[in-house]
Amino acid sequence: MYLYIYDSFLNDKKYSDLLIKIEKRITDLGIKGRITRLSVLKNMKELITDGVKEGVQTVVAIGNNQTFAKVINIVADLDVTLGLVPVDGGSPIAQTLGIPPKVLACDVLASRIIKKIDLGKINNHYFINSAEITNGDVVIEYNDYKVRPTTLDNKITLYNFGTDQLVADKSHPIDGILEAVITPIKGGVFGKKSMAGTVLPFTKIKIGSQAEDQVSIVTDEQIIMKTPAEVVVAPQKLKIIVGPDRLFE
Amino acid sequence: MFAKNQPIASQKTIETIIGPSVKVEGKFKGEGDLVIEGILVGDLQTKNNLKVGQNATVDAHIKANNAFISGKIKGNIIVKGKVEITGTAVILGDIKAQIISIESGALVQGKLNMPVTNISTDPDSVTPEETSAEPIKEEENELDKE
Repeated sequence: MYLYIYDSFLNDKKYSDLLIKIEKRITDLGIKGRITRLSVLKNMKELITDGVKEGVQTVVAIGNNQTFAKVINIVADLDVTLGLVPVDGGSPIAQTLGIPPKVLACDVLASRIIKKIDLGKINNHYFINSAEITNGDVVIEYNDYKVRPTTLDNKITLYNFGTDQLVADKSHPIDGILEAVITPIKGGVFGKKSMAGTVLPFTKIKIGSQAEDQVSIVTDEQIIMKTPAEVVVAPQKLKIIVGPDRLFE
Repeated sequence: MFAKNQPIASQKTIETIIGPSVKVEGKFKGEGDLVIEGILVGDLQTKNNLKVGQNATVDAHIKANNAFISGKIKGNIIVKGKVEITGTAVILGDIKAQIISIESGALVQGKLNMPVTNISTDPDSVTPEETSAEPIKEEENELDKE
């Protein structure tokens, strides 16, 4: 049984045509299920856990990157398969998973190529793509060694799969490894520019800071966490429907 | 980066890069290829290939499969295959490898050892010769001057 969850921003009139087309395509493909629209009064976690109790085996999130980041944190610990339907073409998560935007994503759902992919976990919060620290005054502790940036301004990104040019083509969501990429930011005449970066693969690290204020970590452009934080890889944690054009095996 | 006849790591193994803006302290142990452009203090061991860039500073004993060195190293180097030392390299420590190549201009202060038998870079297989090889104290000052 399928449970389709429409994010609350899709209640806007400009998406109604698109949603009708998606519903029609889902019906044509024979993968119809229950549809729920998120709103201020409807909580995503409740909807999914109630659905699972009633026998839902596939949860399909329709929305954008932030929708996917939210739904992943709920379904990761449940025995369900996740499907995604991006309503725009700018989702790096969908691109890596080979899911085309809008109505075309329904065909991917129907083909049901299911992969178990890794997730990153910061304290108790999962992320699928990346987590970013922009105030780079941090110390990254591995088991036997510590890494600290020597420049003032740094961007530290923890990747599950690579969208950064330093790790693209090498970092995959099924390799059981996350990558920490440290990029110094130097002010130039034409704005900020990046220098050569650092790439450190890991399965478990601790991020601390010597700064007076806690350092913020933003996961999948959505949740803000604070240091100190423990980051681990959760291997093959999420069952997800992927497309044939995905960027990994 | 490395000689053609040396084993190359799988394409899928991600390369570890210690960039020029980073300092690593402690016992660094890697599985894949390792590129150092920054500072490393402690111990360094990789099952694959190691590249020490021109501006890198390494204060550590090193164990690797193959090594390509252009930067400053204070500590002993044990390499299973080939060590390639370029003209910009400064090495204060002993080198043990099956093949050692040193370009003119490089500074190496220490013993060179090229055994006929295979060299083990396993962490547990440390010979008495290696354990006694502390970073050479008398040359410390020379590195500091630079």
